[in-house]
Amino acid sequence: MATPPPTPGLRKLVRNPFFILGLTPEASRAQIEREGQKLLSMLQVGFGEASHYHTPLGPQRRTAEMVRHAMAELRDPSRRLCHEVWAAYCPPPDDCAKPVGSHTPDQPDPWEGAFASFGWRMS
Amino acid sequence: MHESGPIYVGIDLGTTNSSAAVFDGEQVTPVRNATGTALTPSLVRIDGSGRISVGHRARKFLAHDPDSVRGEFKRLMGTRKGLTVASNTRRPEELAAELLRALRRDIETQVGVAPDRAVITVPALFELPQIAATREAARLAGFTEVEMLQEPVASALAAGFRADHSHGHWLVYDLGGGTFDVSLLAARDGFVDVVGHDGDNFLGGRDLDWALVQWACEQIEREHGVVLSRANSAHTPILGKLKRALEDAKIELSQVSEASVVCPDLIPHPDGARHLELQITQADLEAICEPVFARTVDVCQRLLAANRVRANEVERLVLVGGPAAMPALKKYIEKALGIELARGYDPMTLVARGAALFAASANLDARPKAPAPASAHRLWLRHPAVSADLKPHVVGRVMRADEQGAPTQIKLSRNDNNWESAWVSLNQEAGFIVGVELIARRSNIFTIAAKDEAGNPVVVDPPTLTIVQGMSLSDPPLSRRIGIALASDRVQVYFDRGEPLPARRTFRHHTVETVARGSDTCLLKIPIVQGEFDRAHLCRLVGTLEIPGTGLKTTVPAGSAVDVTLELDRGGNLTARALLADSDQVFDEVAHLLVPEASVDVLEATYQRSGNRLQELRKAAFRHHQDGDFRQRVETVARGLDGVGRDIEAARGGDDDAGLKARRMLLELDAQLEDLDAEIQWPALLEEAKWKLAWAAHWQQKYGSEHEQRLFNDASMAASKARERRDAVELERQVGLAYDLGFNAFVRDPQAWPSLFEQAAAAVDNARDLPAAHALVADGRDALAREDRRSLERVVRKLWNILPATHKQRRQAFESGLR
Repeated sequence: MATPPPTPGLRKLVRNPFFILGLTPEASRAQIEREGQKLLSMLQVGFGEASHYHTPLGPQRRTAEMVRHAMAELRDPSRRLCHEVWAAYCPPPDDCAKPVGSHTPDQPDPWEGAFASFGWRMS
Repeated sequence: MHESGPIYVGIDLGTTNSSAAVFDGEQVTPVRNATGTALTPSLVRIDGSGRISVGHRARKFLAHDPDSVRGEFKRLMGTRKGLTVASNTRRPEELAAELLRALRRDIETQVGVAPDRAVITVPALFELPQIAATREAARLAGFTEVEMLQEPVASALAAGFRADHSHGHWLVYDLGGGTFDVSLLAARDGFVDVVGHDGDNFLGGRDLDWALVQWACEQIEREHGVVLSRANSAHTPILGKLKRALEDAKIELSQVSEASVVCPDLIPHPDGARHLELQITQADLEAICEPVFARTVDVCQRLLAANRVRANEVERLVLVGGPAAMPALKKYIEKALGIELARGYDPMTLVARGAALFAASANLDARPKAPAPASAHRLWLRHPAVSADLKPHVVGRVMRADEQGAPTQIKLSRNDNNWESAWVSLNQEAGFIVGVELIARRSNIFTIAAKDEAGNPVVVDPPTLTIVQGMSLSDPPLSRRIGIALASDRVQVYFDRGEPLPARRTFRHHTVETVARGSDTCLLKIPIVQGEFDRAHLCRLVGTLEIPGTGLKTTVPAGSAVDVTLELDRGGNLTARALLADSDQVFDEVAHLLVPEASVDVLEATYQRSGNRLQELRKAAFRHHQDGDFRQRVETVARGLDGVGRDIEAARGGDDDAGLKARRMLLELDAQLEDLDAEIQWPALLEEAKWKLAWAAHWQQKYGSEHEQRLFNDASMAASKARERRDAVELERQVGLAYDLGFNAFVRDPQAWPSLFEQAAAAVDNARDLPAAHALVADGRDALAREDRRSLERVVRKLWNILPATHKQRRQAFESGLR
């Protein structure tokens, strides 16, 4: 069940593009496009799994417009930086921060944040 | 004949010439017409018996039967205007449909398939009615599905598709026959982002041609004493011949330094028609065209400045369009912008090539769909048709998954046999997600295999899917702001310029007057406007959603809630919907989607009015000792008005396009006059700002929370900075914000709502729904007697909703019925 955000300030936090796309702030441009395209496809096909995303304030409803907007926000380097700060400062619970629909047999679960842990930045 | 694989079709429907291209996943090929060239003149001829010929065939008749040939209808798309060709009247979209039909035949001849689906390009600054008219033309030409694409985006896609490791900004400069577009793009990691675009819907090669005609007329007047005027319809055929001769000379000057313009018996004279013989040099051409070139450079610089990109940060400058072939233009642009031109692109077919590539990314395979075997199980697939990513996802779902023998597992194999996925089991929703691997810069075809529960192979439809690996384009941004005009002459912005498309947005409004059920005189109008201004009357009206009294289930009282939803697809196609919240009724018919007509008399009157305002401003500038910059801006408007005067003259002589251009220019000049007016009003505005800030500060200090006071201080500081910059719009915005904060604090005073109630009650006779207003006043008096502050507040807010905006504001806001 989606939790309504309490104030406009917090609404901005729960609408963070990284949360909407289910990615961490280290995500590369290619990952953002790939994940965004996948989510748009899943929403079009009507997968329930794609209809919500996780935030520090609980799950929120996800729409195709939100995904497109999130992708557009992260394409702009200066706007992305601002979202990175918020997403890194206040991440969603660990078990929620992974892309949806990633459980295909030929794709073992990646260790999210591995590159960041080694001090790499993917961009 | 095309044997197999997808075919993607792109069409550049131009003002002067049109072209088409096809993309087969590997190569983009321009489509040749019957004369063997890739360019088809955008001309349609209708003879006396109604026979139609298009392109080069129609062009042959231009010299000896010009009345039967019509061109330059692109800029008139979306108008009510009927165009007379010989004795036939056709709408611009019907003529465009003839052209599209001819291009469709050429494509069929070349690839063996009559395309059903295509991408058609439109100028980035085309307004919504013009886009809708282009879509209608495609439908009339037999296309079942089309997507619109902005021309500069198409050029960029074509220019960058095969560019390896491209990184940086590009400027795509597209000067077409009738429109000018410029786009700033950023290429990064195989993705092209449209950072922004600008342009002029009424500036093109045609303006160069008319500037040349003007020059020739001046020579004729000097040498022969004959005045030729566009205002005189008797001179139209003479000027037409002169224009064609000058066009040929202009093309000749691309190769040589001097050309001759010879027209026998052209000049009317009491002693008999005289021959025209003129010499024109490269230098003459440059001088004549310079003002048009300079206008395009201004637009480019405005775009770069708006995006904070310096010219030396631009890696490529790609020129597109017929005039781009002029050496004079190349030289001027390269020097003025200080950016090196990109070489090796065909400026004439680049747009069509880009459109064909985009058709692939939109998955618009032009081939008619082959019927699936009856036993096949249908799959619903979603994947990018063009991808810069080497490992995109394919998402799918099995339709009717509960049928016997339906697939339970799916596997994808690339047709080169070097990659295949594992068998993927369907999830609980009968869906699957498979990450696939692509070969770079190729069309990758995947075969879809399926198994049922028992492990038996299952036939699926479609049996294959195709993904082309190459540069892919992010969602195209909206080129102009779109919103709803409110009764107060303000605009509720739905989509800002730059918003990624597609987009959808809903806002709640309230009606300003009662719409009685069954009444055929009551109508709730919701005007949809396009433009960058906050004041509705300065924007273009592009459609009106109308809710007639006759269509209502119940009477809609003033102040009723209306949820308006606007939706735009990737090509800028607009749909609008209004939901009356109380009666749960939905209206979605946009009453008209037309570019407003430009009647010459109305234009003339507006022109006179603007001229008078200009005179007033000149006097005010003198009285208020305005600086040189102000006077310079006034003179810029004066020069603009001179140009409008010439266009109105041409419109009077029958040039409809010049009329439309004049209408557009008058709107823009009107906005500039308003800005100049605002500057004259600056002292009064400052006085008002001071008063409002002082009022708000008083109440904030008395009742404001700590957080509010912080916000108030921020707004006051921003207002102060706006004052230093003399930025009237920003000052008004920040003062408005501070005033709202002051108001929030003010209403905490016990006497606030009683005082606001008395003010509203005093104006109650102006309400459009008098019985409701009087009932509210009575309720308010009761609440006042009971000292029930909450009820009183509710009453006052309701009263505010039904008190009208002024008559003038509503008229200016296209009779909007919403607040």
